[in-house]
Amino acid sequence: MLSERELERYKRQILLFGEDGQERLKKSHIFIAGAGGLGSPVSIYLAVAGVGTITIVDRDVVELTNLNRQVLHYDQDIGKKKTESAGEKLRIINPDITVNAIEADIGEKNVSSLVGSADGIVDAMDNFDTRYLLNRVAQAKRIPFFHGAISGLYGQATTILPGTTPCLACIFPKAPPKEVFPVIGVTPGFIGMIQATEVVKYLLGRGELLAGRLLIWDGMYARAEEIKTERNPDCDVCGHGT
Amino acid sequence: MSVKVRFFARFRELLGTDIIVDKGPEAGMADLVREIARQNEEGYKAVFDEQGRFHEFVIVMRNGKRVLISDVEKIILTDGDEIAVFPPVAGG
Repeated sequence: MLSERELERYKRQILLFGEDGQERLKKSHIFIAGAGGLGSPVSIYLAVAGVGTITIVDRDVVELTNLNRQVLHYDQDIGKKKTESAGEKLRIINPDITVNAIEADIGEKNVSSLVGSADGIVDAMDNFDTRYLLNRVAQAKRIPFFHGAISGLYGQATTILPGTTPCLACIFPKAPPKEVFPVIGVTPGFIGMIQATEVVKYLLGRGELLAGRLLIWDGMYARAEEIKTERNPDCDVCGHGT
Repeated sequence: MSVKVRFFARFRELLGTDIIVDKGPEAGMADLVREIARQNEEGYKAVFDEQGRFHEFVIVMRNGKRVLISDVEKIILTDGDEIAVFPPVAGG
């Protein structure tokens, strides 16, 4: 049931997908791995859309070098845990949803319990080791994994549906090299919006997802490309032998 | 025969894109990309390892279809082929 306040808050989007759609968002729980460049815009927009429960996890503390892009955090938050800052802001942004902001280093031992019974995982990570781990958990729990990654003015995104689409390991059998990546906020802002849009469509059961499609965005030239992705039957994570 | 090679993101910064090349028959796809990449040392190293093989993380497409890195050396080009070479990124 939506309250009067909720009906008013989400009035303009209820025009798109009805109260039923809004109820679906309200009942949903999304896990966002990372409260940084991608995590900030994804969490903000899922919060204002009324996703009922958002769990956001990060292990870091806010630093000045984060503030060119991590729009959940401000100067006053420097030195604070990112999850504390994120939780505070998201609750102000939408007091009508539940925000679980958990300080944790996502690893083999805790990832399954951190994700819990979430309906989907948003990849807002800055390294592939953890991405591959989240990919395995998404497969095990049979929930979607909304992948995103960026560097400079360039980014990629795809939606992984266990049992249907290629998994992250099919698409990226080898991780790109680790680097201190250059970045300006507009890029994770843009890719974060692609991911958040995917989440909303998935939860509403509407539109067409980036399932089996890797979207490549080159902001320098304002060009989007699409790569069709295929399952690897021998994939260690989702292949025949698994 | 004429083929086009497109590079993206960092690869594009270093090597350019929409490179149209005329090659004789039996030209290998990997050889062609190596030839183009040699024009810029940094670009070459971004795409290829010290043994001259594609880095395993590079995404290679031929006419819109993914070519696995393990198969890349086997591909012989045909007229009108479009090769795309992408670097996946990892930031967030």
